[in-house]
Amino acid sequence: MKNLSKKSLWLSGAASLLLLSACDTEATDEVDESVEAEAPAETDEQVLNVQLNVEVASMDPQIATDGTSFEVIANTIEGLYQTDSDGQAVPALVESAEKGEDGLSYTFKLREDATWSNGEPVTAHDFVYAWRRLADPDTGSEYSYIMGIAGLVNANEVLAGEKAPEELGVQASDDYTLDVQLANPVPYFESLMSFIPFFPLNEDFMTEVGDSYGTSPETLLANGAYEVSSYEPAATTIELDKNEEYYDADNVVLDGVDYQVIKDSQQAMLSYQNGDLDLVTLAGEQVDLFKDDPEFVNVQAGYLWYISPNTLVEGLENANLRKALATSFDKQQITDTILKDGSVPADYIIPDGLAVGPDGKDFRETSDTYLEYDPEGAKESLEAAKSELGQDSFTFGLLVEDTESAINVAQVLKSQIESNLDGVTIEIEQMPKKTRLERMKQADYDLGLTRWGPDYADPMTYADLWVTDGNNNDGAWSNADYDELVYSSIDGELSLDDEARWEALKEAESILLNDAGVLPVYQKGNAVMVQDNVSGIDFHAVGLPRVYKFAVKE
Amino acid sequence: MKKYILKRVGMSVVTLLVIVLVLFVLMQLLPGSPFNDERLSIEQQQVLMSKYGLNDSAPVQFFRYVRNMLTGDFGKSYTISKDTDVALLLQNRLPTSLLLGGLSILLGSVAGLFLGVAAALKHNSLLDSAATFFSVIGVSIPSYVFALGLSYFFGFQLSWLPMLYNADDGLRAFALPAVALSMTVMATVARFTRTEMIEVLNSDYMQLVESKGVSGVHLIFKHALRNASISIITILGPLVVSLMTGSLVVEKIFSIPGIGQLMVQAIQSNDYNVILALAFVYSALYIFVMLAVDILYGVLDPRIRLAKEDAHG
Repeated sequence: MKNLSKKSLWLSGAASLLLLSACDTEATDEVDESVEAEAPAETDEQVLNVQLNVEVASMDPQIATDGTSFEVIANTIEGLYQTDSDGQAVPALVESAEKGEDGLSYTFKLREDATWSNGEPVTAHDFVYAWRRLADPDTGSEYSYIMGIAGLVNANEVLAGEKAPEELGVQASDDYTLDVQLANPVPYFESLMSFIPFFPLNEDFMTEVGDSYGTSPETLLANGAYEVSSYEPAATTIELDKNEEYYDADNVVLDGVDYQVIKDSQQAMLSYQNGDLDLVTLAGEQVDLFKDDPEFVNVQAGYLWYISPNTLVEGLENANLRKALATSFDKQQITDTILKDGSVPADYIIPDGLAVGPDGKDFRETSDTYLEYDPEGAKESLEAAKSELGQDSFTFGLLVEDTESAINVAQVLKSQIESNLDGVTIEIEQMPKKTRLERMKQADYDLGLTRWGPDYADPMTYADLWVTDGNNNDGAWSNADYDELVYSSIDGELSLDDEARWEALKEAESILLNDAGVLPVYQKGNAVMVQDNVSGIDFHAVGLPRVYKFAVKE
Repeated sequence: MKKYILKRVGMSVVTLLVIVLVLFVLMQLLPGSPFNDERLSIEQQQVLMSKYGLNDSAPVQFFRYVRNMLTGDFGKSYTISKDTDVALLLQNRLPTSLLLGGLSILLGSVAGLFLGVAAALKHNSLLDSAATFFSVIGVSIPSYVFALGLSYFFGFQLSWLPMLYNADDGLRAFALPAVALSMTVMATVARFTRTEMIEVLNSDYMQLVESKGVSGVHLIFKHALRNASISIITILGPLVVSLMTGSLVVEKIFSIPGIGQLMVQAIQSNDYNVILALAFVYSALYIFVMLAVDILYGVLDPRIRLAKEDAHG
């Protein structure tokens, strides 16, 4: 037995080794080959390698809703306008725009040298088709309501299914002239036109590919700086090549953009340090390590995180109690020790860097701040509330979605509110975001930590949230003066006077926050790393977070 | 045997239907809806609900789902990849998970068998202790630790192999994740092989075979390993399924577009059709592997084969 087993052991061992080493040599051979093959190519080609945190949810401009999808779509499709490095709308496909004297009509002349990647010209019909598609209830677009914001004639009727999409206030009077009729003046109409849902699509192509639109490079069309060369639904790698047919191709330096979805922030950072990635987003705990690095970039995002108080809940109908809650937590501590990603305390609801007024200044530059952290003031408000309500202790649930940062923020909120306000108890309720949204929509909550991202560069993208019975006014806060100011700014008298409208929106903000209708917490920031040989990437707080058209990699 | 297999296949189909039914009921009980985004009005939510037929009664939805499923239509994704056929999502992602799982099983079983046989033959030697040590480590350290370590040393420090998955890298992209995932398989297989082999090698019939002059590789593989393999296959079955259907953490570390990550995302975003389809695939694979294991028993062990034929005619 002993002799035999020795021999057989040797043999079986040798066999297994052979198998393993076969795998090994195969792998190393491939390594050598690819290193030789790729090394020279990399120096010739300027391809930007970008990390994404999440997969693209849709390549369809009228269906997509998230920043990631928007970013990839905007690299390949261009609209009437685009956002420049200062966040201002500048003409893209528009050659000249004529605004009616009453502000109720626009005539856009389109440039005639723009083509789709299949060679077809980009025409006014493509816009008409896409806009009707956006407004058509059958499309099921989440952003369809933006057509109402844009103020197009019959938009709300079409959205409600009362009129046919063909009755929407937009027509092509010839191939390169787009006529738009508005129901009321919209001061930010041109800026709105740089928003993805208003981007054109070619009807013939859409009919041809049908439901399979946006599922592969063959079922996508580009008219922008890049075109998709590799994509599949929920892909973790997406490759874009420079679009040689793009009318402004001479000004595009990059040969392409390669996206990789990397959800593990540590792995992403290692790849960045390896040189495999040119742009990564840092997680909160990484910021401390890299914040002094010259490649570290802090980007202000337009997202506002706030606590929504449900005014239908006993106790929260009291403004003093809401005020006590709103001023009892240290926002600076939350942004500096918990988030650390460039987020800043928010003593306001209209984010910094969102919108520029008729005076050419940012909204925040000329308006006040409200509800600053003030533990003493908070205690006074609480005492007032206690005597008004005849109650000494309050317990509120705080709905929080189950992401790490939201939970961490909620824990600080709880501990600070409880230590600054005697008799107030906060109970954190964690749940998936979808569940939190559902509970809030049904007004089945006390306090909810929630956020809103801007859709367009105007204070209205926030202000219209809190009108009485507003679609997103979960906490049912209501104030007649506020409603009047907002509605008049949308389509009333104020909408005709830019300066008065701007002042009115400031007043609206002060009404809302002096009554603590919402409890602002922080404005989100993003910490990113950009390799020092890369320049020309535009970061924006609204609409499109990142634009690569003018990016250069040396 | 044929009849037995047919019967088993029939039972599998019924099991699958029951699983789909249970999943369907569970899905109805999930809180929230796929369409409760901030920006959707109640009316729009209704439009979407009726577009996807979610307003119909549960039995209607169930039978429609089963009917479509039989034609290979698993419905559309609501949130992860809006309006995309779930079948298309799976078609892109399932092969990646299957290939990765297959590779790690192959790698793990070969290495595990070698270690186990070596340890058994050199019972109580230094080699045996080393092999045992290896398998204890392999079983007790989770695969993501290996994944992080391998990725750091071979991907980052040495740059020998890609740290992140890219389809352009071909099989090379699978090297590190497959090795990381194979550790558990290797350790488990090695442990079982060793125990079984020691038992088999000490049995009477092995001595008989030996005394008949059978020796060497023939003895080990034809007689000893074949007898030991029954229990190895039993533990390998579920391992195969769990590895083939994706390891969430390892997929995340290497950014692999597999179905493990898809499942988590689907559950978080109430993407019903994706959850259903994935759970279905998982169950189907499990049942299939179990069936294969049963058939393999028969092939490997005539006693089982005969017993079954007796029992089932």
